[in-house]
Amino acid sequence: MLIRHSSGPGSGNGPALPELHRRLKWVALIGIGALVVLVGRLWQLQVMRGESYYERTVSNVVKERYLPSVRGKILDRKGVPLADNRPAFNIYATPKLWTRPLEAELVRMLGLSDDEIAKIDERIEIGKKRDGKTAIMILDDQGRDRAALIEQALARLPGFEVRHEPYRFYPQGDLAAHLIGYMTQMTAAEADRLGNQGYDPSELVGRYGLEDKWENYLRGKKGIERYAVDARGQRLDEVTAAALIQGERGVPAVPGANLVLTIDAELQRLAEKAVGHAAASAVVVVEPRTGKIRAIVSRPSFDPNIMTGHLTQAEETMLKQDPRKPFIDKALRMTYPPGSIFKFATAIAALEDGQAAEDENMFCTGAYQLSGTTFHCHGTHGKVDLIKAIQHSCDTYFWKLAERIGIDRIAEVAAEYGLGRPTNLGLNGDAGGRLPTKDWYEKTTRYKVGYATNASIGQGDVEVTVLQMAMAYAALANGGTLYVPEVVDRLEAHDGHTITSYGPQIAKQVRTPADALDIWKRGMWKVTNEAGGTAFEHGHVDVVTVMGKTGTAEVKKHHKQEDEKELDRWNPNATHAWFAGWAPAEDPEIVIVVLVEHGGAGGTVAWPIAKQIIEGYFTKIAGRPAAPHPAAPDKDARP
Amino acid sequence: MRGTGLRLPRATVGVSRWRRFRAAVDWPLIVVIVALCTLGLLNLYSATHGVRHHAKFDTQVQWMVVGVIGFAVATIVDYRAMVRLAWLGLGVAIALLFVARVLGRPGAGDANHGITYRWLNIGGMGIQPSELAKLMVILVLARVFQDAEATSYTPRALIGRLVILAAPIGLIAIQPDLGTAILLALIVLSVGFLAMPSVWPMVHVTLAGLLAIPILWETMHEYQQKRILGFIDCGIAPTKECWHTQQSIYAVGSGKIWGKGFLEGTQNQFNFVPEHWTDFPYSVWAEEWGFIGSVVLLAIFGFLLVWILNVALSARDRVGAVICAGVAAMTFWHVVVNVAMVLGLAPVVGVTLPFVSYGGSSLVTFFLAMGLVANVSLRKHGY
Repeated sequence: MLIRHSSGPGSGNGPALPELHRRLKWVALIGIGALVVLVGRLWQLQVMRGESYYERTVSNVVKERYLPSVRGKILDRKGVPLADNRPAFNIYATPKLWTRPLEAELVRMLGLSDDEIAKIDERIEIGKKRDGKTAIMILDDQGRDRAALIEQALARLPGFEVRHEPYRFYPQGDLAAHLIGYMTQMTAAEADRLGNQGYDPSELVGRYGLEDKWENYLRGKKGIERYAVDARGQRLDEVTAAALIQGERGVPAVPGANLVLTIDAELQRLAEKAVGHAAASAVVVVEPRTGKIRAIVSRPSFDPNIMTGHLTQAEETMLKQDPRKPFIDKALRMTYPPGSIFKFATAIAALEDGQAAEDENMFCTGAYQLSGTTFHCHGTHGKVDLIKAIQHSCDTYFWKLAERIGIDRIAEVAAEYGLGRPTNLGLNGDAGGRLPTKDWYEKTTRYKVGYATNASIGQGDVEVTVLQMAMAYAALANGGTLYVPEVVDRLEAHDGHTITSYGPQIAKQVRTPADALDIWKRGMWKVTNEAGGTAFEHGHVDVVTVMGKTGTAEVKKHHKQEDEKELDRWNPNATHAWFAGWAPAEDPEIVIVVLVEHGGAGGTVAWPIAKQIIEGYFTKIAGRPAAPHPAAPDKDARP
Repeated sequence: MRGTGLRLPRATVGVSRWRRFRAAVDWPLIVVIVALCTLGLLNLYSATHGVRHHAKFDTQVQWMVVGVIGFAVATIVDYRAMVRLAWLGLGVAIALLFVARVLGRPGAGDANHGITYRWLNIGGMGIQPSELAKLMVILVLARVFQDAEATSYTPRALIGRLVILAAPIGLIAIQPDLGTAILLALIVLSVGFLAMPSVWPMVHVTLAGLLAIPILWETMHEYQQKRILGFIDCGIAPTKECWHTQQSIYAVGSGKIWGKGFLEGTQNQFNFVPEHWTDFPYSVWAEEWGFIGSVVLLAIFGFLLVWILNVALSARDRVGAVICAGVAAMTFWHVVVNVAMVLGLAPVVGVTLPFVSYGGSSLVTFFLAMGLVANVSLRKHGY
């Protein structure tokens, strides 16, 4: 070994390193200084801020996620589901872990279409803006094969999840599509607004019809699940999680309420089948005793199953370009000139004022002169009384009545029956229509006497919705009670107990004298039950006595748009065909209004449809035995 | 024993040689090391509790055995002999740094930072020559400062020596291992301040060093710059290290006063502080043992430092005293930089916590360093 037997420089007396001795106080100062800084920092972090950092570390490990709530069903009056849920595979991804190569891998694996890729990109963008760490749905309602492909590749797809969740579906297809509505993915604005209510940005929300209007009730309440993760976001096992999570493990989801409708799915199907051959049409069937809607049809329609998350760009364009406007609810949003079914207002107004009498005869030459204008009746009816005028739908008779009472009286009576303002069903933007008055004309142009002539037969500027006419005829049928139409009978919890029940709601009691009403009704009876009636010529219902009124409404000249598509059986200049009536005549059970848009004449087009629906209802649904022809309702026999 | 230059205290003459040796051995130093190793293993057990890392505990125990042997050797071989070979040793260390540069493999987990060449693979075990270099620099410093006369500290003599000392620092800096390079510089400066008759040359060097910071900054790798920017403000450079520091602060803070308890630290058990067994063991410790435990660990290090300085003060010769001062400086800066980094007071640099961090090179280096102290302590009464 290398040894040197000598005492070193500092051996013996004095310290070996005097400099160190001299500077010891500096060493101590630096050492203590460092200790003070470190211990001070520890005090700051652990004692002063300890609690908040503790919370941070808990939130590092314990995560929360929403549990989906099962959306409430929409059921018909007998419990037949119109909107239901079925299990579906939804694919989720975590925006924060989303990369281009990952997307490329996904596209390659699933063979995604451009539409789907665009949708995914959009959803990821929205997701990134919110909480990038929470997985969001990128592909909804995927097939079993795609779900399986993702599931077996999860190791290569960080942040991906396949969840088995309920998905909205409409077992009856496009039945009552406008009424039920559909769901679509929420917009970015909605995602911002609803985000803190537990909505996932890729989630569907009710977009049309009842799905939209009752969204808050149908949706239910999302549950919360608390679970534990490690730094990579991987879920920890249940035992570890249970030890880490203090307090509640979560809150269970509350399923949405079921909507039980007044609609009768069978009658609805019957009605839709009856108008099946028409290019565009609407039907409303209501109970005159309650104002409840039994069937409400608007066609052409759409399949809510496709609209709900499966609508392709091409299909959407096609639907939007259709000149028949399939997205507009023709039963309550679109307004039409009512034609002759409006004549009740003119007749009742004249009878109330004493300006008409049941036995007053007038002579119809087929033409009518008024201040230089010639109006043409659709026939030459000769000598007619009021009842006969209703039966044959003689316009001349009503023109003459209008000349006596004026336009404002007609509008007044029509308004009594709920026309000219929305019915308050509160769905799909139900329209108010229009009842022109002298004031109304004066506001825009000058009033002319001829306007009253047109209005008296439901032409000119009179506009109504099919639902309004149904409610008006229901009031005529029940002797003067105007109801607010109702389509939801009750709200049920998922276990079946009723939350809220909706009883009939009376809008107003109409002040029509019983004898005036009776005259109108006798005219209606003859329309469908006596030779010469506008409907009788085109078919007769044997199972039950029907009474009604046909209407053939002329339309304003259609100016063709340049890019408008031509369609078979669609002539925008043809008249609208109407029928409004009820059955049984003696004790009305259903009121029916049929409109075939640009369908032709009421008697030849609308009445056979109404007839088919009424026959179907009384044979198949109400189960009424065939009744013999009853006599015309006698004025004295009625209570 | 005489053959190794070991002379025992006069008062023990007549007592059996073994008992005399036992009396001369620096037991408090050994007790402190054992205490630190025990706490270190306890902490490592918790830090590597997860399935994927449990082998690290066994590896660390094996390295401790190697370290204890190293400690014994470093104690028994006369330190003056070692100092005489210091320049040679430093030469070997520099050569190894070159070899590591050429043959070395990138450090595990460093893939994100570009390739670094800190590791040398010997017999299947990765060692870091830069750790060895620290010891050699301490020995060289002892040699440089062995003369007490002010005349041997002329500027010309000093510059030549400092340039040679700067060589390994520069090499380590370009490895790149900025942490070790800065630490070496700190050791050289500290020993200079403690051992030079006049402090002015060291003040000048320090000022020159501070002025060189902009140049240093320009030559830094982007990831290094990012780390420092990220330390100043996470918003400027949101790096992995920044998140690292943030999570480390959460871990420390969440320990509150009494800690979450052994194996109960969620930040470390679920890997929120990455690589917490090497550079961030103090965050594991602070999370599980709280403020009390954290201060106790610092106190143990404080005692160790006081003890090493005590040995330096009572050393028989200048060489021994400078060695102790060097080891004290090395230990002090390791502890301060590492703990400051864990507490978010310093940027993330690869500086270990003595005896507590996982890793053979660091562990063996500190065993050897403490062996040097024990060596000086053993020979304080004579040779």
